[in-house]
Amino acid sequence: MTLPETTTSICPDCRVPVPAEVAERDGRVVMRKTCAEHGDFESLVYGDARRYEEIQKHSKPGSRPLALQTEEVEGCPTDCGICPAHEQHSCLGIIEVNTACNLDCPICFAESGTGPAHGSDGGFSLTLEQVERMLDVFVEAEGEPESIQFSGGEPSIHKDILPMLAAARERGIKLVMLNTNGIRLARDKRFAPALAELGVHVYLQFDGFKDSTQMAIRGRLLQREKQAALDACAAAGVSVSLAAAVERGVNDDEVGAIVRFGVEHPAVNGVFVQPVTHAGRFLDFDPLERLTNVEAIRAICDQLPEWFREDDFVAVPCCAPTCRSATYALYDGEDLVPLPRLVDVEDYLDYVTNRAVPDLEVRAALEGLFSASAAGGTGPTGERLECVACGVGLPPELQEVAAMGFMVVVQDFQDPYTLDVRKLRKCCVSEITPDGRLIPFCAYNSVGYREQVRAGLVAGARQ
Amino acid sequence: MSGAPGRGPLLAGAEAKACCATAYESDAARWLLGDVLHPGGRDLTLRAASVAGLAAGERALDIASGAGVTACLLAAEAGVDAVGVDYGREAVARARRRADAAGLAARVSFVQGDAEALPLADAGFDFAICECSMCTFPDKEAAASEMARVLRPGGRLAITDMTARFEDLPEALRNAASQVACVADALPLDGYVALLEQAGLRVTATEDHSDALRSMIDRAEARLRAARIIGGALALGEYADKIELGIELSRSALAEVAAGRLGYSLLVAERA
Repeated sequence: MTLPETTTSICPDCRVPVPAEVAERDGRVVMRKTCAEHGDFESLVYGDARRYEEIQKHSKPGSRPLALQTEEVEGCPTDCGICPAHEQHSCLGIIEVNTACNLDCPICFAESGTGPAHGSDGGFSLTLEQVERMLDVFVEAEGEPESIQFSGGEPSIHKDILPMLAAARERGIKLVMLNTNGIRLARDKRFAPALAELGVHVYLQFDGFKDSTQMAIRGRLLQREKQAALDACAAAGVSVSLAAAVERGVNDDEVGAIVRFGVEHPAVNGVFVQPVTHAGRFLDFDPLERLTNVEAIRAICDQLPEWFREDDFVAVPCCAPTCRSATYALYDGEDLVPLPRLVDVEDYLDYVTNRAVPDLEVRAALEGLFSASAAGGTGPTGERLECVACGVGLPPELQEVAAMGFMVVVQDFQDPYTLDVRKLRKCCVSEITPDGRLIPFCAYNSVGYREQVRAGLVAGARQ
Repeated sequence: MSGAPGRGPLLAGAEAKACCATAYESDAARWLLGDVLHPGGRDLTLRAASVAGLAAGERALDIASGAGVTACLLAAEAGVDAVGVDYGREAVARARRRADAAGLAARVSFVQGDAEALPLADAGFDFAICECSMCTFPDKEAAASEMARVLRPGGRLAITDMTARFEDLPEALRNAASQVACVADALPLDGYVALLEQAGLRVTATEDHSDALRSMIDRAEARLRAARIIGGALALGEYADKIELGIELSRSALAEVAAGRLGYSLLVAERA
């Protein structure tokens, strides 16, 4: 038993670091903390205490980045980043190119939107030169970076988004992704072919089919645009991951339908199911009844019992094991087989550590499963990845199989309610900032870095 | 044959033994089941050794030793000297390579031989283990007698095996193909107990491990479905056209396990 545990979190009100206890309650795992000024806070951090204990063995030592950008001064989480106390390199870098958006979603951890408050009067729009410098910082830290994601705001409406994507390709980053709501893909017939030419993978927000879901999360009915965007990607040969923000009582009853839709759509080779991050703009919620990976996985399995069951989802050892679980499945249009069923998952983990198991089936099963940077069957598949903690390649004999592969990732990002510095130090997703830092994604959203970076850019633009 | 009446067209003795040994040696079998060709894998092997009180320095025999995993495991983990016997020559050669590679060749050896007529002296072992194989031996009485013969007085035998009542199994599981896969010629638990007692062995413990069987069949079923999807990328050879049958049999077996008509048990017995 590791529970109860002590760690450091932050006060959800003032964001000041506070001690926290992580303990079992009624079979689940709850974080409890007290801010001298704002009182007591409790939040669910994992929905199954037994599984929480069990997957701790999936925790593997990380590998350090090649370059650090900050010093350790005040201690985690206030020295980001990346500071010498961080325990993992960045599988995935994120560049937010703007704050402007063509939607005003009720849920947005990036607090983006339409209008001047997110544009000329309170927002920012990076220049191509800024983005190139940020890419260089990422390359310096990673050597050969696994993957980068362009985000925002809505990055597709930035006038230089295509040259920015090209700049990432030119630097040899293996997987270049565009995180988008799909509106430009649906409306601008030249956009998907342009992405295809650059070899860009689309990470498409896709939260569900019900009108109530779309209104609650995006504030608009977008199903026609989503379908048109996906069909444009399929026609142009652009591969797509669907990313669903899932909130209890809003669309947790639709995750099975989203996964099924993804499996069956020719452009889609992965679905990311993400419990809503309660940072920025979000709906009213009960921190003790929030969704964690456990509830998300159970929802998928309950809604698709013919395809998945809970033990098909493997806690990914690259980051903290409670952060990300994934499965990789083969699908041929009729049958779907999750690859973790083919192997002993414990051998799996040994393989990730030792990289010495020669069996084809193990390697095939491992393909893409363990890395945040992998997106379905695209990009790094077929190459030998350098990422020690999560890298596996597909042997040449089985490369054609990758086209039948489908990935389902369940990712619970931390927010001010759930932040745990132990997990943060192991984070492998980094926001790249224009001042040349790599800030772990969950720290960026929770601790106040996002607000600082935005304020700095706005102030700089006004000078 | 441990014959129940109305058994149907099972393979005759010698043919069945050769068929079993060949099937388990094949790449297809190893792909389907992995290197450990019995439910429960290494954990159940070590559990069996522990229940039987296997101690360091003892002499252990693995009957139907396959690729040599158990003999090597017992030598490495329990600190015993081990001998493995298998009917398949290829398996014996592979097991020797495994022991060599593990640096265990001085303490682990393998011989080709028939479980119903072991090429080993009387009373030479402190412990014998036979995993998921008794059910495949056509003459189970002879095999049990041989196990008793090679154990010293006070020596212990551990058997893990499929349990089933033949007449309760569905038609599909009662054919020759499923005899190879350990199903159709299995006995109920009391059948194994009687078999061992008849051979002069006193059963001291039994444990149910049907979950391990379910996991193993489940994995085989998933691998068969994966093979059907991947098709040509796997070298399944002559087994390629048997995938559908394998999937059907796996599902049928899983249903039997769920219904409690098919199971997996550990028996430990002592020679008087």
